[in-house]
Amino acid sequence: MSNESQGKGEVRIDDESHIVTVRKTIRDAAMRLGFGITDVTRIVTAASELARNIFHYAGTGIMRWRELADVSRIGIELTFEDHGPGIADVGQAMLEGYSTSGGFGMGLPGTKRLMDEMEINSQTGRGTTIVVRKWRKK
Amino acid sequence: MSKELITVMKVQDTLIVAMPANPDDATVTALQEQVLQAMEQFNARGLVLDISAVESLDSFFARTVVETARMVGLMGGATVITGMHPSVAITATQLGFTLRNVMTALDVDRALDILNNATRRKGGR
Repeated sequence: MSNESQGKGEVRIDDESHIVTVRKTIRDAAMRLGFGITDVTRIVTAASELARNIFHYAGTGIMRWRELADVSRIGIELTFEDHGPGIADVGQAMLEGYSTSGGFGMGLPGTKRLMDEMEINSQTGRGTTIVVRKWRKK
Repeated sequence: MSKELITVMKVQDTLIVAMPANPDDATVTALQEQVLQAMEQFNARGLVLDISAVESLDSFFARTVVETARMVGLMGGATVITGMHPSVAITATQLGFTLRNVMTALDVDRALDILNNATRRKGGR
């Protein structure tokens, strides 16, 4: 379940209901960091997509979030980590309309559009780590 | 897993459903079945799905809404989605959703007008 301190936290994902926990946790965090309602909705939706990917493809995993700050801006970073089957072809998974699960194939490319930065590290048979970030001016 | 309770109301010949703010997947799936059963049970001509409480519409939720509208269509009904927040509309569009072939309205009043007109044109009830 949700476990938080100021500026960071994590949620284990091993049940479908934890997708809701991820959404609530990230909504609270993004609002506390001062994001506007549209950006909060973007970040929560991206988190929901990535949490559901973990639940459906890997079964279990973890979502960690932390606050970022530099001179001129504040950000939130979300890391989704699992030890599932991995993504065989990350390039293909990022193509519009591609899906292996009968979904609409907009999960990863759609999620990337909602966030400012996205990095995917995946090894077949080892697991997947996806990091996304969203920034706002101070 | 805790499913939230969803109430399907029938007003005249139309079903009205208000989605909870943050439903889990099981709730969204249950909604679909509940709506289709109610369509048959009440011999309804349409569905108004109010999402004004909904805080985020991810791809699973959006896909289920589009599917439900299509299924209601197969049963001879029309679906109108109401109350989408600007932030949800922006996010759903950027995520890649068009809600093709699904009618939308700002509120339930306007949705009922749309359904009344649609029925009248068909020589309705």
